[in-house]
Amino acid sequence: MTTASPAVSARRGATLGWLRRLGTPKVIIIVVVAGLIGYLALVPLYYLIWGTFFDADGFTLGGFARAYGDPRVGDMIGNSLWFAVGSAVLSLVVGTALAYLNVRTDVPFKGLFFAASIIPLIIPGILYTIAWIFLASPDIGLLNKAIEPILGPGFFDIFTVWGMVWVEGLHLSPIVFLLMVAAFRSMDPSLEESALMSGASRWQVFRRVTMPLTRPAIVAAVLVMVVRSLESFEVPALLGLQNGIYVFTSRIYFVLRSYPPDLAAAGALAVGLLVLALIGVTISNLVGRSGKTYQTVTGKGFRPRPMELGKWRPVMGGVIVLYFFLTVVGPLFVLLYTSLLKFYQAPSAEAFASMSLDNYRQLFDISDAMTALKNSLALGLGSATLVMILMAVGAWIVVRSRIPGRQLVDHFSFVPLVIPGLVLGLALSFVYLRSPVPIYGTIFILLIAYCTRYMPYGMRYAVTSMHQISAELEESAQVSGASWWQTFRRVLLPLLSPGLLAGWIYILVVSFRELSSSILLYSPGNEVLSILIFEQYENGQFTVLAALGVVMVLTLAVLVIIAYKLGAKVGLRQD
Amino acid sequence: MNTAPLSGRRGGGPAKRALVSGSALVLLLSGCGGSPTATAPQAATGGGPSAAEKLYTEVNGMNGQQRRDKLVPLAEKEGALDLYTSMTSDVADAVLKAFEDQFNVTVNLYRAGSETVLQRVVQEQKAGYQGNDVVETNATELFDLNTEGVLANYDGERRRMVPEAGRQQGWTATRMNLFAPSWNTGLVTPEQAPKTWEDLADPKWDGKLAMELSDSDWYLTLYKYWEKQGKTGEEIDKLFDGMARGAKIVKGHTVQGQLLSAGQFSVAASNYSYIVQQAKAKGAPVDYLPFVQPVIARPNGIGLMKTAKHPAAAMLFADWMLQEGQALLAKQGLTPAIVEGDDPLKDVEIIPIDVEELTKNGDEWNKRYDQVISNGEQVDGN
Repeated sequence: MTTASPAVSARRGATLGWLRRLGTPKVIIIVVVAGLIGYLALVPLYYLIWGTFFDADGFTLGGFARAYGDPRVGDMIGNSLWFAVGSAVLSLVVGTALAYLNVRTDVPFKGLFFAASIIPLIIPGILYTIAWIFLASPDIGLLNKAIEPILGPGFFDIFTVWGMVWVEGLHLSPIVFLLMVAAFRSMDPSLEESALMSGASRWQVFRRVTMPLTRPAIVAAVLVMVVRSLESFEVPALLGLQNGIYVFTSRIYFVLRSYPPDLAAAGALAVGLLVLALIGVTISNLVGRSGKTYQTVTGKGFRPRPMELGKWRPVMGGVIVLYFFLTVVGPLFVLLYTSLLKFYQAPSAEAFASMSLDNYRQLFDISDAMTALKNSLALGLGSATLVMILMAVGAWIVVRSRIPGRQLVDHFSFVPLVIPGLVLGLALSFVYLRSPVPIYGTIFILLIAYCTRYMPYGMRYAVTSMHQISAELEESAQVSGASWWQTFRRVLLPLLSPGLLAGWIYILVVSFRELSSSILLYSPGNEVLSILIFEQYENGQFTVLAALGVVMVLTLAVLVIIAYKLGAKVGLRQD
Repeated sequence: MNTAPLSGRRGGGPAKRALVSGSALVLLLSGCGGSPTATAPQAATGGGPSAAEKLYTEVNGMNGQQRRDKLVPLAEKEGALDLYTSMTSDVADAVLKAFEDQFNVTVNLYRAGSETVLQRVVQEQKAGYQGNDVVETNATELFDLNTEGVLANYDGERRRMVPEAGRQQGWTATRMNLFAPSWNTGLVTPEQAPKTWEDLADPKWDGKLAMELSDSDWYLTLYKYWEKQGKTGEEIDKLFDGMARGAKIVKGHTVQGQLLSAGQFSVAASNYSYIVQQAKAKGAPVDYLPFVQPVIARPNGIGLMKTAKHPAAAMLFADWMLQEGQALLAKQGLTPAIVEGDDPLKDVEIIPIDVEELTKNGDEWNKRYDQVISNGEQVDGN
C-alpha cells in the first residue's frame, strides 16, 4: 500500500520518535514532579500576589503602606531580627553540636538524643511555651522558686527577647539536628583522620574540615530557621506581648484578624519574607554548587566511625544529660504534672493530693478523638511520604540535571514557607470550591494543604543530601548499563535515605500540629488532632490539653523510634 | 528520518522541553479563574427567594405547636443538618446530643473560631457551595455575614422574646458571653477586689493587671458607656491609660484564665465569666463575683442560610435553640438570651456590645485599642 506520501510518513516517524523520547520514565517523572511542585507553589502564590497588588480598583501598593507604615515598625523589625537571628543561632549551635556528638563520637547516653531532639518538636508550640512560663516566669516560675535561696527572686525572666530566643531556639533545634545528622552520616571520616594524622587538633579538624564539608546543610538550616522565626507568632505572642515586645508578625495577626482580612497587607509582609528567602535559596545553591567540594559520598567505600572522646567523654555525657533535663524533662514534667491536676497550681502537698487521671479519662470521652488520631496519622504518613518522594526527584532536577530553569523548581518549592497558613487555606478553598473534581470537603484537601506547607522542608532535606553525593556513583551505574530510573531507585535513593528519612520524620511530626490551614479546610468526619487541641484550648481546658500533649508525645515518639529502626536497615549503616 | 532538531543537546533535550511545557501548564492552570480576592458575585443568592427562603417565610408566621408540627416531619425527612459554629466543643457536644435525642436528625458539625467560621461561610457562598444550613457564632461575624447578604429572615414568638439588642436583621441572639474583671483570691482579698471598672486604673494594680490582646469590643463598649455617663474623652483615655500602665498583655482568654489561677498576675481586666467560673468550679483560687458592673455582654447568635439544603431542619434547630436549648445553655454555665422565670442576673446591669459601631468602625477601634495596650510597656520608674 502506498497511500501515505513519504513526507507524511517521515513526519509521523519523527513524531513517533519524539513521543518515544518523551515517553521515557525519566522525562515523564521529571515533568510530573516539576509540574506538581510548580502547581502546589503557584496556587497560593498567585492568590497571595493578586491579593497583595490588586484590589477592586486595580493595581495598588496600599498593602505595603498598611503593613510597613506602622509607627513602631522600626522597633518591630529590630525585635524580629534579634529574635529570628538569636533563635537561628541557638538552634544551629545546639542542633549541630548534638548531631555531631551523636553521629561522630562515642558520647554516652545516645538513647537520650532522639528524645532530646524530637520531643520539643512534638509538643504543640502553645503548650511548650506555657510550660516554659510555668518554669521560668519571674513571678511563678518553678525554676526561679528552686534557685531563689541562692540567686534571689526572679533570676530567670522568660518574658524578654532572650527568653523568646531560648524557647523558639530550642523548639526549632530539632530541624537542625535532623538535617545535620543526615549530613554527618554521609561524611567520609577519612578526611578528618588525615587532618588528625597531619597534626591538627580536634578543634581545628572540626572547624577546618568537618564544618566546611557540611556547609550546604548549615546554610539550609540557617535559611529555614531565620524564615521560620521571622514568621513565628506563638512564642512572641505569649512571651513578648506581656512586656510590650512587638514583632513583625504581630502585624500579620492584626491585619488578618479584621474582616474582610487585609490580604494585601498580609501579602506585603509575606512578599518581604519571600524576597529574603529567595536570596537565601540562591546563596545556598551557589554555595552548594561550587564544584565537588561537598561531595563526600563517593565511589570509595567508607564507614563513618565514631571518634573517641577520651577524657571528654564524661564531660560531654554531663552536658547531654543537662541539656536533656532542660529541654525535655523540664517542659514535659510540667505537662505531665499539669495533666494530673484539676487546675494548674504550684507543687504542694495539696496539689499532689488532688492528682487524678480524670483528664485522660476525659480525653477518651471526646467523641472525635479516635477519628482525629486516625486522620492525623493518615495525613502525617501520607504527606511525609509524598513530599519526600517528590522532593527526592525535585532535588535531582535542581542539583544534578542540566535543565535550564531548574532553579525555578527550587524557588517554587520554597514559596510555601513564607505564605501564612490562613492565606494558604483561603487559596486552597478558593481553588477547590471551584474545581470540578470533588476535593473540597474531603480529607484530600488537607493532604494537599499539608504537602504544600511541608514541601519547603522536604526540599531542603533532599537538596542537602543530594549535594553530598558524588555524581561518579550515578555515572558508574549508567556506564554499567542501568537506566535513569534504575540508577535513581537503586543507587541514589539508598544513598539519600538518611536525609529523606530525616525530612520524613520532621514532616510527620509537625503535621500533627498544623492548625492554621486545617481549621479552615476540615469538614465533619475529617477532624485532625490539632483541631482537638484547639478546641480544648478554646474550652479553657488547659489540664486536658496537657494530657492530650502527653499522649501526642508518646504516640509520635513510638512512631519515630520505629522509623529509625526501619531506617537503620537501609542506606548507610552505622556500627 | 531526521530527528536531530527535536532531540536538541545531549541529555537535556526532551527533559528540558518537558520541564518548560510542565511549567507552562502550571501557569495556565493557575492563570485562569481571574482575581481570587476581588468581590465575587453572590452566585447563590441572585434572583428571587430561594426554596429555603420560601419555607422560612411560610413558617415565620406560625406559632406554638402548629409550627413544631409543621417543621418536625419535614426536618426528619431531610434527615440531616449542617451546622457551622464557634461554640466551644463541650457546649456543642451537649447541645447536639440533646437535639439528636429529641429529633431524628443527624447534625454534621463544623467548629472553629468565629473569624474562621466567617471566612469559611463567605468562601463557600461566593463559590455557590451549599456547605451549611445554619451558622451559630459571635455577633460581629454574624453582622458581617448579614452584610454579605447570605442570611435569611427568621421570625417567630421565641425570637420576639429575645432582648432587642439580640434581634438583628438576619440573626437572633441565643446566648451572651459576659466580660467582667476577675481576680486571684490567693493574691487579692475580697476588700481589695475591684468594685468598679474605674478601680482597674488604680496604680496599685501596676504590674499585676492583665489585659487581652484583641478585646477591642470590650474597650469600645466601655468607652461608649463612660461617654454616656458624662465622662470626657480625655478622662476616659486617662482611665484606660491607667489600666494599661504596667499591664501584662496576654493573647487569648484561656491563657489569661490559666495564668490568673497560676498567679502570674492578680487581676484580669476582661475575661469571659464562664472561663473563670469553670476554673472556680474546679477549685482554682479565682473569682469574678460580685460582678463589677455594668457587665459587658457579647451576644452570640444563630442565622439561617438562604441557601440551606435542609431548611426545615435549620429552622427547627433555631426554634429549639431558643426554646429547649436555652435551659441547656444555662446548665452549661452560659447566659441564655431569653430570660424566663428566676433570673440569676436580675440585679446586674448588663450592657450589650455595640455591634453596629464595631462593624462600621471596628478597624479604628482595633487600632485605638492596640495603641492603648501598647502603651502598657512604657512604664518608667516602677
